[in-house]
Amino acid sequence: MATSIAVSKVESEKTPAKIFDLVPGILLLAGVGYAGKSLEKFLNTYAKAHHWTFPNIEYVLWAILIGLVISNVLTVPKIFQPGIATYEFWLKVGIVLLGSRFVLADVLKLGGISLALVVIEISLSLVLMHALGRAFHLTPKLTSLLAVGSSICGVSAIIAAQGAIDADEQDSTFAISAVLALGALALFSFPLIGHSLHLSDGSFGLWAGLGVDNTAEATATGALYSDAAGKVAVLAKTARNAMIGFVVLAYAIYWAKRGQAGAVGNKAGFLWKKFPKFVLGFLAISLLVSLHSFTKDQVTSLGNLSRWAFLLTFAGVGLRTNFRQLSKQGLRPFVVGALGEVLIAALTLGLVLGASRIWGL
Amino acid sequence: MSGEVSSGRKGWKPSLDTWAVILALALALLVRADVFKKIPW
Repeated sequence: MATSIAVSKVESEKTPAKIFDLVPGILLLAGVGYAGKSLEKFLNTYAKAHHWTFPNIEYVLWAILIGLVISNVLTVPKIFQPGIATYEFWLKVGIVLLGSRFVLADVLKLGGISLALVVIEISLSLVLMHALGRAFHLTPKLTSLLAVGSSICGVSAIIAAQGAIDADEQDSTFAISAVLALGALALFSFPLIGHSLHLSDGSFGLWAGLGVDNTAEATATGALYSDAAGKVAVLAKTARNAMIGFVVLAYAIYWAKRGQAGAVGNKAGFLWKKFPKFVLGFLAISLLVSLHSFTKDQVTSLGNLSRWAFLLTFAGVGLRTNFRQLSKQGLRPFVVGALGEVLIAALTLGLVLGASRIWGL
Repeated sequence: MSGEVSSGRKGWKPSLDTWAVILALALALLVRADVFKKIPW
């Protein structure tokens, strides 16, 4: 399903789904998300009333788990698919609104640290993924797609790069599947590692934003650790997303020079086309809040709206992950992706630990 | 993440990214105008 959604996303750029087609899936996202939120509240209240010692499991995890059960145990009817695919749209709405929870000075400080680490992370990840791709005899374009996906921004970066370097659809399907499968693993492994290392919220959020590829999974991984870590994860991931245009442009020029992709005409136009516009929305809201354009209650309301948008995203992360479909995509790209991800996770953890010593995150 | 969907001769067509920004800013405007007084969580 993950693959079919990813492919349908490419198709949807040509033929956008009619608004009414989206309603069932959006209602399912809302239902699953709300069920997760209610379950957290119910279990906490029940445990308290019966004097049980029960670990607080965040609504994020419940929403993802309910979604995973529905998509892997039951079959999600086709009527829900277009609406489920909107989870990335709600993610972007949530990120823009999350700008209300950052004063611009914090954005500049944390964003600056994130950007510095992102540049190092992207450079090392690209080198690493190309070395692994060569070692495992993957096709050069599949290697390029895996490198773009694991260094920047997961699925969206792969889709953007696929068009720019004229890669096969099958290669992009492999790369997307590897990134999605590894993102699902990161969701559960990162918080466990973070707790065992007693990472602060700031350090963990930065690590999740740098180390987890897909924006939805990075946001969910941060939020699974804590609310504060979720905020930092989104900021770090947004800084990483902002680099997408530069990396895809570099690949487009590289493949064009080899005569295996169309030439890039207007480079500034190319960069603007690939630049994630929600980054600008995030900065705009943060600027407005910093200028005291909203009252305290209104800022709280904007923060809550952002949480509701993320709730739909977390439900979508579970609902679009189908392990059977992912396992059909072949082992080699997955092994290359997995090896790369483990090394990148270790590398970014080292970077974050170093940064937290210097800047005290 | 993904960029603009299309532009060119047929005129500007907002991408999903742009629509997300438009919706978020519209919601912020409605909160600012007190149309939504309090959004609970």
